[in-house]
Amino acid sequence: MKRMVVFVLLAFLADISPAAVRVVTTLSDLADFTRKVGGEKVSVEFIVRGNQNPHYVDVKPSYMLKLKSADVFFMIGMELELWAQQLIDGSRNDRLRVVDLSKSINKLEVPTRVDASQGDVHRYGNPHYWLDPRNVRIIVQEIVAALATVSPADEPTFRANAERYLQTLDAKIAQWEVEMKPYRGSKIITFHRSWSYFAAWLGLDVVDYVEPKPGIPPSPSHTAELIRKVREGGIKAIVVERFYDTSAPEQIARATDVKILRLATSVGGVDAATDYIALMDYNIAMLSAALK
Amino acid sequence: MLRRACHLLALLAFASGAGSAQTTINPDISVIPRFLIVTNDGEHLAEGKRTFSQPDFQFEELEMVIAAYLNPFARADVVLTLPGPDIEAGALGIEELYASVLRGLPLNLNIRLGKYRVDFGKLNMMHPHQWPFITQPLSQERFFGESLNDLGISVSALLPTGDVYSKLTLDVLRGTPIGEATGIEDTTGAKPTYATAGRLMGFFPVGEYADLETGISFYTGIHDPYYRERFWYWNFDFKYKYKPDMYTSLTLQGEFLLNRRTALQDRAFQPFVDENGNPAPRRITSSGAYLYADYQFMKTYSIGARFDWSQSPYSTDDHARALSLFLGYYPVEETLGVRLQYQNTRTEHAGSAQSVNLIALQVMFSLGPHKAHPF
Repeated sequence: MKRMVVFVLLAFLADISPAAVRVVTTLSDLADFTRKVGGEKVSVEFIVRGNQNPHYVDVKPSYMLKLKSADVFFMIGMELELWAQQLIDGSRNDRLRVVDLSKSINKLEVPTRVDASQGDVHRYGNPHYWLDPRNVRIIVQEIVAALATVSPADEPTFRANAERYLQTLDAKIAQWEVEMKPYRGSKIITFHRSWSYFAAWLGLDVVDYVEPKPGIPPSPSHTAELIRKVREGGIKAIVVERFYDTSAPEQIARATDVKILRLATSVGGVDAATDYIALMDYNIAMLSAALK
Repeated sequence: MLRRACHLLALLAFASGAGSAQTTINPDISVIPRFLIVTNDGEHLAEGKRTFSQPDFQFEELEMVIAAYLNPFARADVVLTLPGPDIEAGALGIEELYASVLRGLPLNLNIRLGKYRVDFGKLNMMHPHQWPFITQPLSQERFFGESLNDLGISVSALLPTGDVYSKLTLDVLRGTPIGEATGIEDTTGAKPTYATAGRLMGFFPVGEYADLETGISFYTGIHDPYYRERFWYWNFDFKYKYKPDMYTSLTLQGEFLLNRRTALQDRAFQPFVDENGNPAPRRITSSGAYLYADYQFMKTYSIGARFDWSQSPYSTDDHARALSLFLGYYPVEETLGVRLQYQNTRTEHAGSAQSVNLIALQVMFSLGPHKAHPF
């Protein structure tokens, strides 16, 4: 009987013992980085599925519930997640620490003019910076700093985990760069401006976009213009995010034989992308095969 | 608790102007006008003729939304509306004007204060530009007029229901707009007869791509200021949305409203009498409901149908039903919307019936920042 009481007591104490740092991230990629840094010291949930367009997310109460009990909320920032503030307000969590991970990023495509005639432009620049793996070092450092603020005692663990992960990532970056070196300067078309950082890293030349302006659906005249550009030669592939419709790219491909590449922008975007390194492995393998 | 109380005091001090903070930040301002081309075949029914009227160009309404945070604890929202059909002579009125305290209160309560659409049912909180159809459901129109919108104070709390999001909202309201819906204007000069309302809602994810929200609401107040007769509205609502990808979604939504009241006269001020001609208060239980389905495809198109059925607040004999079919086209997200709706409405009252067909084309645009719509 005594043993049973002790067992129940221990189980109860285990349940109320200091919980791990509870983290919610907007993207699955950020959840992956946080898990790598926090290990068992964190519990992580994310909001946007890997095969979902992060620009458009319904403001669901279930997401507010996730944030209600969270300690930290990591987001990409730069107005990628315009829906996030409604979730933060709806969570009613006064102690939630909201961390914009874009603060130290070298931003691309910062517009000089912002109005709706330019499409869905982001005032602070292109927010798809996580697709350049060199930016992951900056993201991870921000994550370490935020987690250490919430759980200072675990800071050495977070730092050690981060360093170990970044060493692995650096090795993979070197490998990916070698793999893609023959294709520097290759011309591609992308559907949305999701790949600007990725292309800048690998020296790819994005000559145009399937969307005539960011966020604006492809028009027949713009599609015809792209067909003309592809026929002029040199464009080897159209890169399309998993969540976009392929009707317009397929129309261009039918007229020109250009290849359509459906790459994943986030962890979980395809089955093979089980974490960020696997995501980039998948994208690099697909791209290098298409550009041969 | 003490810390939270201090926070609240600080907030109130800030809100009352004790602070002297200056700001150079403008609020978000957006303008959403709606235009209509409409025709119906009911204008000459009294003459025994059923012909569609000449399509009429109408200005339906303009909404101007101004919204911003007041401080780290609270935000304010203003919705000004210019109602149609006279675009030149109409006056801009205040549809909503309220502040919401979002942080710093005990038990994570939220407070809303001002004039606002009351959290009653699912459709009442939505502005018409957010609907997938053009016309208002009959039950909403008959029991509330345009909407349940009043001056008051609202307190809401998230309930400790674990992995299920549930929220309880309670309102104390000025209570006068019910006269607009029930036809009895308060000229007694008596003290205000407050109304109260509340809603309990729950949100349930159904698999990875679908969600279900259900709610139960009440609204009670004095509907007859002369005899101090009370009414009760009870409302049951649900919304199911399946969205497997960004191009496709299926929404099913419905509400059932139950009205109970004791009345001494009908809406036309005709007293209820017994067989001897003596005043005889009548206990009225009437109801209304709508159900709609909306299927979005190719991101820019939607198609749907709605069924309405409704009695009236003062009569079970006066009832109507309608069937609507609607199409939506949103070529560039929500900056431009075009909707087409066909509606057949059949009304029955005092032994006579009338059926009217309506065809309406609505065009609207949205200028300025636009928040993501809540579920």
